Amino acid sequence: MKKSNTLISPELNVGDNVFAYSETEISEIVKQRRSRLKTASTGTSQAKAVGDYDIKDVKGWTLREPVSKRAYTVIKIQTGSGLIGFGECAPLSPAEFEEAKRIIIGTPVTSFEVMAPKLMHVPTARAALNIAMLDVSGKIANAPIFQYLGGPTRAKARAFAPLTGNNDQELISSMHRLKALGFLAFGVPVPDTLWRNQGQAFVLATRKRLDALRAAGGEGIDFVLNGDNSLTPGDAQMICEAIENFHVFFFDEPCIPVSIGAIKKLSDENVTPIGLGKKITEERQILDLIRDDAVDIIRPSIGLNGISQIKRMAVVAETYYIAVGPENNGGPIGTAACLHLAASIPNFFILNIPYSEAEEDRRMRSEIVMEPVETIKEGYVALLTNPGLGINVNEKNLDKYMEVSL
Amino acid sequence: MKRRKFLYGIGSASALLAGSKLSGQNIIPEDLNDCGCYPNTPLFAEQTGPRVRPTPWQAGDFDYVLSKVRITDLKTIPVSVTPTSDRPYVFVKLETNVGVVGWGEATLEGKAGSAQAAVHDLKDSIVGSDPLQVTHHWQSMWVHAFFRPGPILGSAIAGIDHALWDLRGKLLGLPVYKLLGGPTDPEGVRGYYHARAGNREQLIELRESAEKLGVTAFKTGLASPTYEWIDTHAKIDQAIKQLQMTREILGPDIDIACDFHARTSPAVASIIIKEIEPLNLLFVEELCPPENAKAMAKIAKRSTTPIATGERLIAHFGFRELIEQGIVDIIQPDCAHTGGITGVWAAGALAAASGVSVAPHNCTGPIGGLAAIHTDAAMPNFVVQEVCSGVEPGINEKVWEEWLGFPAQRMVNGKYPLFPDKPGLGFDVDENALKKYPFAGTVPMGRVFAEDGSVCAW
Repeated sequence: MKKSNTLISPELNVGDNVFAYSETEISEIVKQRRSRLKTASTGTSQAKAVGDYDIKDVKGWTLREPVSKRAYTVIKIQTGSGLIGFGECAPLSPAEFEEAKRIIIGTPVTSFEVMAPKLMHVPTARAALNIAMLDVSGKIANAPIFQYLGGPTRAKARAFAPLTGNNDQELISSMHRLKALGFLAFGVPVPDTLWRNQGQAFVLATRKRLDALRAAGGEGIDFVLNGDNSLTPGDAQMICEAIENFHVFFFDEPCIPVSIGAIKKLSDENVTPIGLGKKITEERQILDLIRDDAVDIIRPSIGLNGISQIKRMAVVAETYYIAVGPENNGGPIGTAACLHLAASIPNFFILNIPYSEAEEDRRMRSEIVMEPVETIKEGYVALLTNPGLGINVNEKNLDKYMEVSL
Repeated sequence: MKRRKFLYGIGSASALLAGSKLSGQNIIPEDLNDCGCYPNTPLFAEQTGPRVRPTPWQAGDFDYVLSKVRITDLKTIPVSVTPTSDRPYVFVKLETNVGVVGWGEATLEGKAGSAQAAVHDLKDSIVGSDPLQVTHHWQSMWVHAFFRPGPILGSAIAGIDHALWDLRGKLLGLPVYKLLGGPTDPEGVRGYYHARAGNREQLIELRESAEKLGVTAFKTGLASPTYEWIDTHAKIDQAIKQLQMTREILGPDIDIACDFHARTSPAVASIIIKEIEPLNLLFVEELCPPENAKAMAKIAKRSTTPIATGERLIAHFGFRELIEQGIVDIIQPDCAHTGGITGVWAAGALAAASGVSVAPHNCTGPIGGLAAIHTDAAMPNFVVQEVCSGVEPGINEKVWEEWLGFPAQRMVNGKYPLFPDKPGLGFDVDENALKKYPFAGTVPMGRVFAEDGSVCAW
């Protein structure tokens, strides 16, 4: 490297070009600097990655429930020392799985936060890996994930289940069955849409459906109205207004997300709380929703984001005093992850449990995870207190229900 | 008098605590009627049942999800490295029923007494609790303060938060950076020293030291200790030339940051950053006081140099507006002021969502700095860590080594090393060594004035 003192020009005036290096010299300097930094990074530092805690192998199963046809991918990671962790995400393609595997092998399991940017192009796999890495990290520390992350911030997690049925009467029956299991909050679908734009009959039918459910359900129950992204902004607008004084928990995905402006109009003109965000895969995707006052409860999916990313989203939401309700539309491992998330963040409000009315689906869920992770009591689910995710995954049954091997 | 009794967990409230596994947790006082908004007023009580409701700890709700570890005492140990120091370190020590202790630092420059008192104000909400539940305690300290924390309470919460994380790490057997999800780089955390070089000879020497030590970045300041609302050609020119000389001598391969320390008004700062734009500095810091985002924005849009600020802002809430409006490129939360590890991590996560980086400020004692280093190692948007010291260790750092047994906050090849095998924050404190530096009282920060006697910032 050029001696520093030869670079000094004796006279220096404001506006002078202070770069005494020529182009070629700069590149030489940059080269040297890089080599110096490289030496530093492989030098005599006391820190060394602990091989035992590095990820050695990753395996995956894509499963499908027999009746609901709901699909999800379960992945398993194994460390050098043989510790095992499980994660779950939305169905993964073999290509995405292989790419994520290539990146994650050799990584310390505790680096679940800092690995996120490196897996940005495989967000779904990132979600499952994050959960699995936390599972192992918790086992290393002999602590449930919520404790590893600084919780519990609550002693139990509020949950709701979707009602199933084709008409108000069937929905009421479904509510009675779910209420008997311990649910006190229910997801209600909007009535079937017959035309692209509905009229007053549709608005009244929606309100009537909610009124009928509340009348049949008695006191102490609450509802989430699910628009399922199916309505036009205009219909959603009318429904928001018609149910303002019904006090649903929130109106989930009220309309086709044509633009933030359209959704923002809902919350500008109505006070029905709005839930949005089931499809988002990056923290930044919630920024505009929040800053434009379009949302009251963010709904990031556990199977698309994992625990850590929703935890970071929760920080953003917290500064705007906005709640987090993780979307949970996969299997029981996803539910377990949601419970740990709920007890790790301050602004959790509710999670949904994709409770299936079909016996075959429920049997499959209970065979994958041996613990009763989805048992609800007076509207709340208890936290899982064993190390890591706090569950025992039965690998034989993963094979039994496997649709695609990854 | 009744209130006083309540605060210390005795009096009428004690009935609820009797037989409880936890003591000292906040409860809703039965006998306090000073405020109509209190949860024991008839409006609320009639609707929700009993006039005095137990906390979830007292009700046993948390029993099945807590560890068996309980905090048994909170102590503050203020120390003055020199009798005239404006920042006596306010160390916080949490003791537990299992004998493990946690250390933190609630130092606040010029406000040692206030910070120490604020830590003790929080004692009642910490003693008796499970240290693993740090997020919940942080929320409780923040929310139940009612008056949203500023620097004094932010520092007090920080001291307790560090100690809780230290305990968490020691109890779970892992260094804090691993609990946070790190490390980004197992070799350590990139840092910078203060340049402390005002003339050519000193800068040449600094350049040579940097090459020898492998240091890749420095921070310098403006040439004058004070600036007025508008300033003279001579002072502005001096500031610009000083920075040009610094770049010239340190060369293009060392990153240089410049701390304006909010000495300047938007008018003066704007002129300087416009002219130093070609120097491609790593960042310019605190161009004006931090509470007015619009004023900061006015300066920021006049230059391409990255804008950094935040050592006086508290937790993620304090950074929200600057980040939202795209004013700031790098945030600089101080781990000893901004609500500790929990606060810095949250501010960092908020910044990350908007593509903003983190370069934590650190000008207190060794524990606040070490807490920051652990947090840095787990933030993907981390840039560089400050230590308020030059390439040669100062008197402070020699004293720190005496206390902690190792050269805290000295870089190795330009990075602060991580210690993967040391749980918690990774050090033990020699309490006898602390006793050699007794607290010499609060010393206010320096006061500076312009030529006409008016008040200036420094």
